[in-house]
Amino acid sequence: MIQLQNIFKWYNTANRPTFILKDVSLTIDEGAFLSIMGPSGSGKTTLLNIMGMLDQPSEGSYHFMGQDVFNLKEKQRKELYKQYIGFVFQAYHLLDELTVYENIETPLLYQGVKSAERKAMVGDMLDRFRIVGKKDLFPSQLSGGQQQLVGVVRALISKPKLILADEPTGNLNSTQGEEIMQLFQQLNKEEGVTIVQVTHSEKNAAFGNRIIQLLDGQVQD
Amino acid sequence: MIRNYLKIALRNLQKNKRYAFINLIGLAVGIMGCLLIGLYIWHEWSYDRFHEKADRIVRVTWEFNFGDVLNETALTGTRVGPEFNRRFPETEAFVRLLKYPRVLAVADKMFEEKNFLYADSAFFTVFSFPLLEGNPATVLDAPHKLVITQSMAKKYFGSQNPIGESITVGGDKEFVVSGIAADASDNSQIKFDFVGSFTSLNASKEEKWSEANYLTYLLLRDEEAIETLQAKITAYMQEVGKDEMQLTGNSYTTYQLEPLTKVHLYSQLDGFEPNTNVVYLYVLTAVALLILLIACVNYTNLSTAQSAGRSAEIGMRKVMGAGRREIFLQFISEAFLLVLMAVGVAVGFTILVLPWFNQLAGKEFQPDLLLSPFIFLMLLGLSVVVAFIAGTYPAVVLSGGKVSKILKSGFSFTGSTSLRKGLIVFQFVVSIFMIIATVVILQQLSFIKNKDLGYSREQVVVLPVDAQIREQYDLLKNALRQAPGVAEVGGAYEEPTHIGWGDGLSTTEGNKRITINALPADEHIVETLDLEIVAGSNFTRSDIQLADPARGGDNITYTYMLNEAAASALGWTPEEAIGKKVAKGREGIVRAVVKDFHFRSLHEPIGPLVIFMDKRLVGAMFVKLSGRDIASSLAQLEKIWEQRVNHRPFEYQFLDENYQAMYKAEQRIAGVFTAFSVVAILLACLGLFALTAFAMVRRSKEIGIRKILGASVQDILALVSKDFVQLVLIAILIAIPLSFLAVSQWLEGFTYRIEIEWWVFLAASVLSLLIAFLTICLQAIKTAYHNPVKNLRSE
Repeated sequence: MIQLQNIFKWYNTANRPTFILKDVSLTIDEGAFLSIMGPSGSGKTTLLNIMGMLDQPSEGSYHFMGQDVFNLKEKQRKELYKQYIGFVFQAYHLLDELTVYENIETPLLYQGVKSAERKAMVGDMLDRFRIVGKKDLFPSQLSGGQQQLVGVVRALISKPKLILADEPTGNLNSTQGEEIMQLFQQLNKEEGVTIVQVTHSEKNAAFGNRIIQLLDGQVQD
Repeated sequence: MIRNYLKIALRNLQKNKRYAFINLIGLAVGIMGCLLIGLYIWHEWSYDRFHEKADRIVRVTWEFNFGDVLNETALTGTRVGPEFNRRFPETEAFVRLLKYPRVLAVADKMFEEKNFLYADSAFFTVFSFPLLEGNPATVLDAPHKLVITQSMAKKYFGSQNPIGESITVGGDKEFVVSGIAADASDNSQIKFDFVGSFTSLNASKEEKWSEANYLTYLLLRDEEAIETLQAKITAYMQEVGKDEMQLTGNSYTTYQLEPLTKVHLYSQLDGFEPNTNVVYLYVLTAVALLILLIACVNYTNLSTAQSAGRSAEIGMRKVMGAGRREIFLQFISEAFLLVLMAVGVAVGFTILVLPWFNQLAGKEFQPDLLLSPFIFLMLLGLSVVVAFIAGTYPAVVLSGGKVSKILKSGFSFTGSTSLRKGLIVFQFVVSIFMIIATVVILQQLSFIKNKDLGYSREQVVVLPVDAQIREQYDLLKNALRQAPGVAEVGGAYEEPTHIGWGDGLSTTEGNKRITINALPADEHIVETLDLEIVAGSNFTRSDIQLADPARGGDNITYTYMLNEAAASALGWTPEEAIGKKVAKGREGIVRAVVKDFHFRSLHEPIGPLVIFMDKRLVGAMFVKLSGRDIASSLAQLEKIWEQRVNHRPFEYQFLDENYQAMYKAEQRIAGVFTAFSVVAILLACLGLFALTAFAMVRRSKEIGIRKILGASVQDILALVSKDFVQLVLIAILIAIPLSFLAVSQWLEGFTYRIEIEWWVFLAASVLSLLIAFLTICLQAIKTAYHNPVKNLRSE
């Protein structure tokens, strides 16, 4: 599903390049549950963002579902992204001004889904994750775990094939964290959603079926 | 989608109430300014355009040179209209107008009416003044027919039908009401309460090129014909000049055609009311646009400043699939929503300040004007434009950020801070410019107001003199002189504020001839107006006897007084002029030379003037009061008037008020300018206030650390105000030369004007700096006193 080849990423500071990623090559199959680990500043998030098409490498190539991502036009890349990828963040990044319902609905708006269909899809999700009762609440009225649940649901609403999660449990207590991890595992196993997560926690990493270590921008085997 | 944008926009506004409020008020005030000025300009622009045949109507003005001075006037003789209409096939009809204040009486009601016109029979067919009663083609087709307006009908006849009723005009003539016109709209150069048939005038019986007292309008068959007709008129008048008037050398007479719709805004020649200078309209348009821009700049600045707070939202929206377009649209619709609300508020504001604005601008706008569909559409258009001006930049910036960066560190503006600074400079340039312009305009007006004109105009009451009063002139005058509180009484043909009588004066020796203004007066004019005699003496007893009307018209001998300009134009020093013989129609000696006084507007230099004694021509009486109790003096005057004059009511004016009225255009512009420069600086400060607030939030950590390191409140204030004060200083440097150029240009229009003083610039600079500094302090002092630990904790 994902093929990264010789990915480099650097910034020029004082005329000397500072490397974030150094020659990373990585293949992820469909249906995998991959955990990326490594100390702060090792380039985990950058790698995740590149996979999620939010960032571009300085060098290297990326094939997603057989398409050469960086040779696509911006519009096509956006389409690819909208269709297949969902993001979950450590800080949830829910829109404070929108209710739970509206937060979940927003990706569908950007995909141009019709109103009736939107209603049905959001309704299904609310049902499935048993948060119907919270649909009119604002993020600030929810606990951290509940907020992250909404974050995951929002990532799932467009039925992505790949979920990219950047320390999804970093702001949660252990019980809440475990619930989210179980949810990921369930999605991976039952629905075949590919999951890539960045995490510091060995315990969370163990939920997946593959772990890679990053150190100073390089994959440690 | 749009609904979602609007919902989010609304919730955002609710969340940032203070920010929204500042933006809303700022935009609303800006739009209100635009709306008011827009109304004003629209009104001036619409002048005379409501006539259906407006495109084909022209005004005829007279241009002539009988000596060595070019004269131009909107007034023409009785001959022009009918002669041109007979001679030139391009014309379809003509209308001559005479405005003549008359005393009207019906039964026991008697009033002096200023808006009384005499007009040719085509008046109501050439012009589109609607008639409620009467046939436009025939209402004025015979002598002593009279059309009155609806409100005059009510004033004189109440609910009774006035058609066929008679009104006594000028004490002796009976006019029959033949029609009722709707009240004339105020965007018309022709305003009237009464229109009498032109044939009622004795002057209408004879056609003359001279004795120019009438406005002449021609209706052309084709609006394109104006140039052909102009050429024909010039050629024809050359012939007339040679054959009928025996003009030689450089002397000539001709007539110019002005399209009706150009008269009010472009003509230099006033008709029955002063015209407007179109330049003032351009200036006002610029002011309106600048105010609106300042308001837009506030929005732009505040939106980008607070965008840091919305970076997470924007980033997240992009993660969820929003493209640049969607984000852009979202922010534009947010701007649009706010602008729409601002427009609503602005309409409310406008209705509130409308009475005050009317007074300032001399208009009579009604609030319901704002609810007309035209204005509504205009406002909608304005909203879109404003939303785009104000919202585009923030929208572009906010939609352009890179997601991974936004999510990590939020928005950081490197480029936009310099733009933001530029915009602040712009706002202050405009504000300082307007402060300086306002001060200079006010100074010039106060200079005009207090200028020593060379005659006294304080506490001088002007009373009208007509043919019937002239019969008992001396009796009435003596009675008034003896009233308590009256210092002196004199009379003249017209008021010294504006002497319009143009004439020629020739010397007996050397036979020199000059064009000159003339003022017929009675024997007390010098002491009444406190004219200063520089050579010679006041009129003597024998002068008075020689000019006594009782001697009969042919036996009168004139005695003349010249002003200094006239003496020098004739090549004499004041002393030399005394005793010389000059002739204006008839020969007489120069009795005195008076010091030059301003008998025209200060826009013009003082020209030659001759004063001669002829009581038969007195049209106004000047009563100089000496006492402090003006009210009781006026009561005395009224009592005497009513005892002796029974054909017209006691109505008076003050000479200095009439003088002031000559500068109405300037006074209005000054009023509007003052008001809007206050608005401009308030808006600029509002923006500065909000920006400081955001800077404080951004720098709260820095300030906290500095305080822990020992910085005092003053240090902090200096720190945060430094940046902004610098910007105001730059603005001052730009605004000073700009405003200097602009006000110098404006002052050029006055022959008598103030010098621009350096302290005006200094004061405006200090004032703007002070206001800016106080605005910043108001905001910064809070942060500076804040407990630093709290600032740091929130990080």
